[in-house]
Order: sequence, then C-alpha cells, then structure tokens
Amino acid sequence: MDMNGEERINAPIEAVWRALNDPQVLRACIPGCESLDKTSDTQMTARVVLRIGPIKAGFDGMVELSELNPPNSYVISGEGKGGIAGFAKGQANVSLTEEEPEVTLLTYVVSAEVGGKIAQLGSRLIDSTARKLAAQFFSNFGEHLTKTIQEPHLASA
Amino acid sequence: MNDMTPTREQREARLEGMGCKRKRVEDVRFTQGKGQYVDDVKLPGMLHGDFVRSPHPHARIVSINTEKALQVPGVLAVLTAETLKTVNLAWMPTLAGDVQMVLADGKVLFQNQEVAFVVATDRYAADDGINAVEVEYEPLPALVDPFTSMNDDAPVLREDLAGKTEGAHGPRRHHNHIFEWTVGDRDLTDAAFRKADVTIKEMISYHRTHPSPLETCQCVCSFDKIRGELTIYGTFQAPHVIRTVVALIAKIPEHKIHVIAPDIGGGFGNKVGAYPGYICAAVASIVTGKPVKWVEDRIENLTATSFARDYHMTTEIAATNDGKVTGLRVHVLADHGAFDACADPSKWPAGFFNIVTGSYDFPVAHLSVDGVYTNKAPGGVAYRCSFRVTEAAYCIERGMDILAQKLGMDPAELRLKNFVKAEQFPYNSALGWEYDSGDYHTAMRQMMEKVDYAGLRREQAEKREAFKRGETREVMGIGISFFTEIVGAGPSKNCDILGIAMFDSCEIRLHPTGAGIARVGSKSQGQGHETTWAQIIATEIGIPSDDIMIEEGNTDTAPYGLGTYGSRSTPVAGAAIAMAARKIRAKAQMIAAYKLEVHEDDLEWDIDGFRVKGLPEKYLGMKDICWIAYNSPPPGMEPGLEAVSYYDPPNMTYPFGAYLCVMDIDVDTGVYKVKRFYALDDCGTRINPMIIDGQVHGGLTEAFAIAMGQEIHYDENGNVTTGSLMDFFMPTAVETPVWETDFTVTPSPHHPIGAKGVGESPNVGGVPAFSNAVNDAFSFLGTTHIQMPHDYWRNWKVAKELGVVG
Repeated sequence: MDMNGEERINAPIEAVWRALNDPQVLRACIPGCESLDKTSDTQMTARVVLRIGPIKAGFDGMVELSELNPPNSYVISGEGKGGIAGFAKGQANVSLTEEEPEVTLLTYVVSAEVGGKIAQLGSRLIDSTARKLAAQFFSNFGEHLTKTIQEPHLASA
Repeated sequence: MNDMTPTREQREARLEGMGCKRKRVEDVRFTQGKGQYVDDVKLPGMLHGDFVRSPHPHARIVSINTEKALQVPGVLAVLTAETLKTVNLAWMPTLAGDVQMVLADGKVLFQNQEVAFVVATDRYAADDGINAVEVEYEPLPALVDPFTSMNDDAPVLREDLAGKTEGAHGPRRHHNHIFEWTVGDRDLTDAAFRKADVTIKEMISYHRTHPSPLETCQCVCSFDKIRGELTIYGTFQAPHVIRTVVALIAKIPEHKIHVIAPDIGGGFGNKVGAYPGYICAAVASIVTGKPVKWVEDRIENLTATSFARDYHMTTEIAATNDGKVTGLRVHVLADHGAFDACADPSKWPAGFFNIVTGSYDFPVAHLSVDGVYTNKAPGGVAYRCSFRVTEAAYCIERGMDILAQKLGMDPAELRLKNFVKAEQFPYNSALGWEYDSGDYHTAMRQMMEKVDYAGLRREQAEKREAFKRGETREVMGIGISFFTEIVGAGPSKNCDILGIAMFDSCEIRLHPTGAGIARVGSKSQGQGHETTWAQIIATEIGIPSDDIMIEEGNTDTAPYGLGTYGSRSTPVAGAAIAMAARKIRAKAQMIAAYKLEVHEDDLEWDIDGFRVKGLPEKYLGMKDICWIAYNSPPPGMEPGLEAVSYYDPPNMTYPFGAYLCVMDIDVDTGVYKVKRFYALDDCGTRINPMIIDGQVHGGLTEAFAIAMGQEIHYDENGNVTTGSLMDFFMPTAVETPVWETDFTVTPSPHHPIGAKGVGESPNVGGVPAFSNAVNDAFSFLGTTHIQMPHDYWRNWKVAKELGVVG
C-alpha cells in the first residue's frame, strides 16, 4: 500500500534535518518504539510494538537511511520481524522544503508491506492502521520539533 | 390369531426399518454435550504439540535456532525437519502420488507451512515455545496466480523435483507442472465444433474454498515402548487407510497400530488426508515416551489443511440452432498449491471430473486438465462432494445457461431438450461413465410444476420492465441446476487409494437374546450412520433397529473399510451391511426350517421371521432364532449368528436432482435476498427421509456459503486474507434461506437396496443454482458470466460496471 502526506513544522530546515537523523528523536516519534540504537551513521536497530486488529506484536528490525541529500531529502526504510505475528517492511521518501526561514514543509511518500498473521487477520485493518501510523509519526515529529524550538532543554530528550 | 397379535403394520412399525423417519440415536449424546471427540481424550502424562509456521509464502530457510525455546518452562522438545530426517519422516507421501514436507526442509512453499513442532506440558507453554523458536528466512518471489505458473520466468517452487520430467500421472512440461490428464475423443470433438451452428466459450472459475468443519483436525498419539504399539485417536474419515499409511511410512507393523476415530464434528473432506500434525505427534510420542495431543486452531485449519476447488475451467459447447448439443470441450487449469495432496482415488488426478457432460446427451466430448504448483496450501479435497464432481456440475450447469442465453432459449427448455432419456439407461457417456439409472425429464417437470416455473418467468419479465421504468432497484434472477452426481467409489476395477481397493465392509453379530452389534468400515462425521445402518439391518433381518448397536472408527474391531467421503457410505458400506444381513438371514432360514420341520424352500420371509408357505400359523421369529442359533442349533451346524461382508461395488451410483433458486439483488447495494429455494433429489431408495432432509439442508447451506461469499483468498504477496471466521463466510441461521425439499425415487439397479447416496448432492447441485440465479438476474443488462463468489461487494461492482448503480 502507498500513502502520502505532509506536515508543516515551525522550525528551520537545518533543525528539521538534524532531527530526522537523530535516533533519539526518531525513537520518541515512531509510534510504539521501545528502542532505537545507532549501529552506524546510517543504520539503526529498533524494537517497535504494534497492534493491528486482534494482534499485538513486538517487531525487531533494522532501520536504514539512504539517498541522503542534506538538508533536503532522504529515504528511511525499515524491516521488522514479529515472530509468529509476521513481518512488516516499509520505506518513506521524505523531502523538506523551506517555506519561510522558520517554517519547513515536510512531505512524505510511504510504501509498506506486511506478511504473516498480521496480513491474514488484519487485512481489512492494515491500510487504515498503516495510514494512521504514518500520519502519527510525522505529526509526532512536527510536534516534537516545535516543542524543542520553544523549549530547547527538551532537545536531547 | 387373537386380538393381542400385532398387525403387520404394527410389526413393521416396531422395526423402524428402511423408509422410517427414525429419530437420530446419536443425538441423545450430541444434544447433551456427551459426545466424545478427540479433544475429550485426556491420557495420563499427556503432552501438547503446536507448530511454528511460516509467515512467508515462499522463502529459503537460512537457520532454525531452538535453543531459547528449549529453555522455556514446560517445553520438552522441538522437532524440525533435521530431527525427522533421523527417522526418515521429513517428507511423507501424499494420496495423489506426490511427496509433501512434514516440516519445512530447506525452504517453505506456502504461508503457515509447518516449520517446527514444539512439545510442552501444556498448550500455553507450547505457544511460548513457538514464540522462542528463531527462524531466519530469505524470502523468495511468491507464485500466486496459477495462470502464470508455467511462464518461462516463473519461480521454481519444487526444487526436490529438479530434472523430473515424469510425475505420478505422466509427463511434466514445466517445473511447476504436475500432470496433464485427458479424456475423450479430441478429433471427433474438434470436428463437432467445426460443424456447429452455434458455439460458446467461457472461462468459468470455481474459486478456492475450505470445508471448515466445526471441529478442526486433531489427534492424540500414544506410543507404548514396552509393547511397541502406537495408538492414535484422530479425526479420521478413513481410519483404516490412516493405519495402513502409518504402517507403510513409519515401518511399525500394522497390527501394532491402533487407530481410533471417536465422534467427529464434521469432516466434509477435510479429514480424509494425512497431515504433518499426525506425523509430528506420533514422532513426538515416540521421542518423549508420553502421549502427545495436537489440535489445530481455526486459522491453522483454514490456511494449512486441505483447501477445496480452485479449478479454472475453459468451457466450450457446440450446438445446433435449435438447441441440440453436439459437443463439449473443457480445459481445466487446476491450482494444487505447493504439493499435490489431492484426496482422489489414486488413478484419478482430477477425480471424476469427467462427469462434466452432466445430465446431457453429448455425442462427443473432450477434457484436459493441467495441474500446477503455486505458493498456496496443499489439498484439493472433495468438500462435501464426490471427487471434483461439484466443479464438473458447476462447469456444465453454467455452460448450459450461457448457451441458452446465446440461443435466446429458456434454460429449462434447453435442458429438457438435451437430457439423457429414461430409456437410454444404463447410459454410456462420451467421457467414459456408465450411468446406472435416471429419469431426468420426470424430475425436471415435477420441479417446474411445483415452483410454477412459467409464473416465475412472467414475474421476472414484469420486474425487468419495472426496473427499466425506474420503479424498482431490484433485479430478479431464476437459477436452475439439474445435476448428475457420480458417487460410491468405487469398483476395484477403477478405484483404489495407494493400491487399496475401495471396497467397504460390515460385520454383524447377533446375541442370543435377539439384539446385536454391527461394525462397519465407514465412519460417520454427523451423517447419522448409527441410525440409518440399523434401519437397513432391521428391514433385512427383522430385528428392531433400536436393538442393533452400530460401531465404527476403531481399526481393531471394525472390519477394514475405506471410510466415509464422496457419498460412498450408503452405496458401498450400505451395500455391505445389506449383504451381511442377508448372510445372517440365510442361516436363520436354515434354523427355522429345522425347527418348523419343513424344507427351507417352503419358508417365506415375513417382516420379522419366517412363515411356512400356506400355513400362516407356523411361524418362527428372529428373536427366537437368535436364541436357538446359540443354544440348540440344528445338528452339524456351528453355533452362533454372525456374518461379515466385504462389498466391491460393480459400478458407481448416479444420484441426480433438479434445483431452483429465486433471488432478488439490489443494484445499489449488491445485497441479495434468496426468495425461494426448491431442491428435488433422487437418491434412489430412501432409507430415512428425515435424515435425507437434514443432509439436504446442510449441503444447501454449504452451497449457499460457497456461491455467495465463502473463499480462501490470497493477496498478490501470497498472504491468506480470509484466514479467520471474520473474513471467511460461514452462514448462521440469520443468513441461511428456507429450504423446500422434494424427491423422486429411481432405485439403483445394481445396489442391493437400490440406494444411491445423498449427503453431497445438495452441495453439488446447490452452487450452480445460486450462481445461475445471480447470472440470470444481471443477464438482461448485458452480462454473460459473472465469477463466484457473489458477495454483496462483488454484486455491487457488477452493477457499477454495468452503470446501473443509482
């Protein structure tokens, strides 16, 4: 399935870009993310707990950043295995545009694929859940940044 | 005779023999929750097994790590293909001549395939163990669409068959090809098409679905190391075949294997085959020395054990301008999934699909079937039908409607014009069957009269005009189905399973007081054998059916039989019962002759005993004969009164029926209403009309489910998207229409009591009636063929494409 959307963030493009590359920010914003640890400049390992319909499962996986074009765009992709619950993988093409010096427009195009039990049981819920999760991530992200601009002591939270 | 002497009618009634609406004796325990099912079997020290299953439809297995699982409290063992290889059981033979992985060996080929078997002290611990097994997969491209399976670039599914150009049923043309099966005269058929005034050609799909019995597949295996004996309690439709298969593949002597099928909560073909769960539970019991239970959950049942159908039938009919059929040509693309595990008699890779000429007198026909592998679960069982007969009936019954539409002829009239006539029986079909008996015209005309067919067509014409004028948003469809089944597999000359001829058997033992027990090689899964088998015996030997106990399912006590599926119980086991009873009656006649001091030929049978011809007061009843047989038999005669019969049927039986469905469909919502459903069945001699009605109700309900929404659906990535009852349509009393039943009686000339079998007819005949009704409803708007299943959403899509959604 494919999803797209946009988020207007009250922060300069450089700050948004930094946050997009900061594992701590990502961990705070990815819905259900329990851990996110950097293993190299562009790779991280993650654990995310998701609930789709009747299934709740923890996914262990890799997150990778590629096609880096600072501070304008990158591709963030992830792949997670949820044991008997199945697996999920997806990627998001994220682009930043400076609308004003303090306002950045973030646009994203996400494609995702699920398999295993979550695909069997949640087929009618997957599209809406994925859409919700993607929107939630980017809105969390926007909110987080806006907050850190207003309250800089939260920056490394 | 004094006034106290019962009349003939009273004596007859007391027997509750054939033709009586005897209440089901098994229901006494079923309705009080006292049935004994496999899950009720609880043995001391019993362990529980459960599967790690593949989330991927096609992947290479890089590694399986069981270390963490073995540390989970309660987990005692984890079996993998490597473990099974040590006992040469990583793969098992299928009924169709293929082999199947018991546990994934190197790769997985369908989603939810069995990868490892965790054995623990309880089911919860087993489940925790499953979560702790670490399997690393390397996903491979999934092959989902059977139409692309034989493309040059199609992924190789079965690496174990690399280089094998010959399969169990002849040459393989492609790495994903299983077999090609052809029947009929190709040249004559092609010639008929060249000369035809009118031809039709349509790809008619019968989608993948699942028998989904209430009770899933399950077993308890218990290996006794001291005695070297294996006891298996299981949900088996064919317990003796399971015992023989276990003996052959596990190399345990057959007499040291005890297979017991207790009460079964529905089979519908799902419980014919052998599944990895049975093998793993048996191996786990041998490894741990304790009994091991394996019980499938609903998702496992729907996604891993035995789908049904998935036939894609390119159907062509040639005819004259006035509607006489002159030729039939069918090509089937059969999606068998990852392993060919079809449960057909071994020589019949497409079952009895060559019954596809149906009830019509086709002078020539040709059929070819290509079986292919895809990344889907194996199976291909006869879901409440004889082998692939429901696919054949759907194919020809849709085909005839499509032809009628092209000719501008009424579909009932087209059928009447082409039926095999009563005087043509026994009738040899163009595809090789000898139909035993039938009277199609009478049945069809009775149906048309009872439903006021002409009146229905007038009502439809009026409704269509009203629709065109915008006065109604509903379209009305009338679906006719006239099916001929082929059941009762089968004669040893053409039917066997892994070399075992498809006879059946009965052993009757009468006790001195005039009661008795009959053990039969069939196995009821709800059909009511305990009731009907006793009725046959009651009529044959004059012992009340209440005094006969029926026992099935224990291979130590029941005579060897091939079990219950394909409507074979009455045609085959029912015949064995009658023949065993007749052996008893023959001995009883000798006893009666001795006691009444006449020659045997001077006796006549009279309901419940023997009477001397011309001397009605000289009578000896069967109850007395039983006592005499044990305690004072004629000199030189062995005591006792028992008999065994093994029955090898001379031919199949050919039940038939005329069904009609009236349906309204709302074009704005796709919602349908079944206004009327009439089902006339001719199953030959009727043993218990109440049980026949029950069988017909059940079969029609399943036909309704299949035609109107029930489906095993895979998405393009190979995920099963209908793996639970949330998505898999299982009608309840709320959705189920009211059924009207009717009958004619055309006995089978070769069956001892003339019975033909009925359990599956309603599923075979019902599906085309529903589908024809939907197609008939839309046809005046320009459709030729709409694929099943016809759920609300798909009906709405059809209306949307026709541009009639408001």
